[in-house]
Amino acid sequence: MAEEILEMKNIIKDFPGVRALDHVNFKLEKGEIIALVGENGAGKSTLMKVLSGVWPYPTYEGDIFLDDEIIRFKNTREAEEAGIGIIHQELNLLPDLSVAENIFLDKQPLNKFGGIKWNEMYYEAEKVLSRLNMDIDPRMDLGDLTVGKQQMVEIAKALSLDTRILVFDEPTSALTDSEIKELFRVIKDLKADGVSMIYISHKMDEIEKIADSVVVLRDGATIGDKINIQDVTIEEIISRMVGRDIDNLFPKQSFERGEKTLEVKNISIADPFNPEKYLVEDVSFSAYKGEILGISGLMGSGRTEVVNAIFGVYGKKREGDIFLNGKKLNIQSPADAINNGIALITEDRKELGLLLDKNLTINMTLPSLEKFSTKLVMDHHAEKSTAEKYVDELNIKTPGLDVFVEKLSGGNQQKVVIGKWLITESDVLILDEPTRGIDVGAKTEVYRLMNQLVEKGVTVIMISSELPEIMGMSDRILVMSEGVKTAVLEREEADEETIMKYATGNKGVE
Amino acid sequence: MKKFIKSNGTFVALIFLIIALSFLSPSFLSSRNLTNLVRQVTINGIIAVGMTMVILLAGIDLSVGSIVGLAAVVVTLLMQSGLSMWLAIIITLAAVGGVFGFFNGFMSAKFDIHPFIITLGVMTIARGIGLVLTQGVSVPVRNMTFAGIGSGYIPKLPSLIILVIALVLGIFASIKDSVEIKNGEKVKNKAKLTGRIILTASGFAAGFLIFIGYKGIPVPVAIFSVIVLGGVYTLRKTKFGRKLYAIGGNEKVAWLSGINIMRTKTMVFVITGVLSAASGILLASRLNGASPNLGTGFELDAIASVIIGGTSFMGGIGTITGTVIGAIIIGVINNGMSLLGINTFYQMIVKGFIIILAVMIDVLNRRETA
Ligand SMILES: Nc1ncnc2c1ncn2[C@@H]1O[C@H](COP(=O)(O)OP(=O)(O)OP(=O)(O)O)[C@@H](O)[C@H]1O
Ligand SMILES: [Mg+2]
Repeated sequence: MAEEILEMKNIIKDFPGVRALDHVNFKLEKGEIIALVGENGAGKSTLMKVLSGVWPYPTYEGDIFLDDEIIRFKNTREAEEAGIGIIHQELNLLPDLSVAENIFLDKQPLNKFGGIKWNEMYYEAEKVLSRLNMDIDPRMDLGDLTVGKQQMVEIAKALSLDTRILVFDEPTSALTDSEIKELFRVIKDLKADGVSMIYISHKMDEIEKIADSVVVLRDGATIGDKINIQDVTIEEIISRMVGRDIDNLFPKQSFERGEKTLEVKNISIADPFNPEKYLVEDVSFSAYKGEILGISGLMGSGRTEVVNAIFGVYGKKREGDIFLNGKKLNIQSPADAINNGIALITEDRKELGLLLDKNLTINMTLPSLEKFSTKLVMDHHAEKSTAEKYVDELNIKTPGLDVFVEKLSGGNQQKVVIGKWLITESDVLILDEPTRGIDVGAKTEVYRLMNQLVEKGVTVIMISSELPEIMGMSDRILVMSEGVKTAVLEREEADEETIMKYATGNKGVE
Repeated sequence: MKKFIKSNGTFVALIFLIIALSFLSPSFLSSRNLTNLVRQVTINGIIAVGMTMVILLAGIDLSVGSIVGLAAVVVTLLMQSGLSMWLAIIITLAAVGGVFGFFNGFMSAKFDIHPFIITLGVMTIARGIGLVLTQGVSVPVRNMTFAGIGSGYIPKLPSLIILVIALVLGIFASIKDSVEIKNGEKVKNKAKLTGRIILTASGFAAGFLIFIGYKGIPVPVAIFSVIVLGGVYTLRKTKFGRKLYAIGGNEKVAWLSGINIMRTKTMVFVITGVLSAASGILLASRLNGASPNLGTGFELDAIASVIIGGTSFMGGIGTITGTVIGAIIIGVINNGMSLLGINTFYQMIVKGFIIILAVMIDVLNRRETA
């Protein structure tokens, strides 16, 4: 095929204190799917932002050729018009508008009085959505859709524009398994239609499944040439990414199971929109010293709600009791939970985890202010040196401690959230999707850290949508389905099939 | 240089304003006029310190002007009824400032109602109480000590000593503040250092020329300075300050990080209420009495000072030093226009435009850095 449609030549992009892209060369053929991989902060998102006009000419150096013609976008709209669409790492839609309005945001069909031709717009929206085989009502508010469906809308938005090059920046990090399957089907259809795609992901199995070739970025530069996916193993890709071999993706260490620490009894949370229904119904379980308790289940199964309940997010609306080391706790708010030595790494870093326009130090020390202050004064130096220690430990890539966290790459932001809760030195650490968006090397670092914490006597509970992660790191696995606990499996008996059986609603006995 | 102007923009604007006015009106730079100007700034400035904290929380307090009026009335009536001055002041601070501030903060935090609504209600309630208590007429004070608070001066020699100490401490703090840690090494932020030193030095020079040239430091100015220092210290060095910025940045994140939103919010409104009451007491002392309409419209000047000083309406970003400069700018504009004989009706129009301009600058700056 070898019909080249895009070439990026010697792209350089500087930010204050960092060179994010350093002479990057990149070529894309018609109908090709390239996986763009690399560590957190390697420059993947930045390269794609240069391509799609988010960083307009001349904020970067170098040339971009589309069909052998040089292009210099002044904004994203020009890129869209040239047929380049991008699904950003963080969704970019307006939840209060309808699906159709989101798709046709600034190009709604207008009548001669300047009014919107609603019917025509709905009709057109339906047409694009059906191209994706998506059964979504274009009149619905976008905010009422699942994240997976919202993402489909974003893809539909890109397709409404005759897109020839479509970029996916970590599209699956918030999708359910069935939604991922759906996405892959759409990607394959698009490929058959001749659309070229660039696919950024930290999940190697996905890359193996859909990419034709792989480009590796490290520290803003490409490592080696583009390689055909058939000619390379996952291990080779990973070692190119991180610059060393990683022999064990899940460095699980087992310790003796100690005494019971956290125990929850009969936790229930009513659905605020439908009091007859429960988000979580009568869930009880215990966690022990010396082990990692994994919580698995499909999205919407009530996993996040259970740990939020423990953390006091539902206040008085929570039913049921929480015990720590045999003592009943009175937890009405996150502050109560933190004071009792319970920490929760929330799943949504942007909305719940970080103060985006505050610097790294402020973010990291926020739950532990007591530690860094006497009665009156805060000790800014102690604060900074602690932040610095965790930046080192977690290998956070940042130009400094005073950098606003919104300027960090997605994965490095996630590491800041992890650091923030490690600093609290809590007895119980609950991690909700802790490795979302972080690179393979960093993942193993996080797992090692979890091992260390367990060894130190911290009770660790981890929610994850990724089965290999759950199976690779947990000592016991609690499975949930539709708000109820369906099983607690020992490490040895947990295989993919068994977990899925319970996750899809098969109620077992303990 | 560009960086300097950008990070000290309002200050540069103030300097230009002062230079322009000194050409337009020869009496502007007289020590007497400037002393008056500064004294006027303090009344608004004290309120604006509290307002800064409220706006940092992405809130607003419309009741400050009415609290000023009610506090003036209450302190006067209490003293008329034979209470000693200090007791009257303390009761007024607590019963007027503290109680209404608590009500503002508690109601808006507990029931999640925007403070705009609550404080709008309290604005009329407090004004109404003032009118009821006075039957709508002015009430006089006859207490020379009390009058001395609002119109007295610290004698020249102690004033000079205070100024010199302030200069030394200011330079010391500037140097300490401009040291940043980068990659484990201490580096000096030159732009910041220059900015701070210029600010401190010009503050000293201004203080010297204005106060020593006239009768010394006016007592309200001294009180104001203490309040400002306290405010700056609170925001920069305490947990409480950090919590404020965090809540303003993202309330949900702050809550999930264990911050007690209700307590912090209530505290901020209490502080603002007490400061407004203090401002009202100073006003009563200077005017030797109170009228129930005192303080009408003060909320606008306070809000304007905060916004001109660079605090963002969206919450989470802003400083008290900025607000002080904002308050001085408002004071200079008021004073300058009066000297130039521009009538107050036009003054209002001009002030309105300046507020809009300040917000525009804030919005454009945000866009640029986004
Ligand atoms: N707006 C910005 N301002 C300053 N620095 C930035 C900005 N955006 C990105 N950077 C820096 O550029 C570098 C590359 O970031 P980029 O977001 O491209 O990484 P990435 O490869 O997408 O990583 P991840 O896998 O974590 O998403 C990082 O060091 C980041 O801190
Ligand atoms: Mg990225």
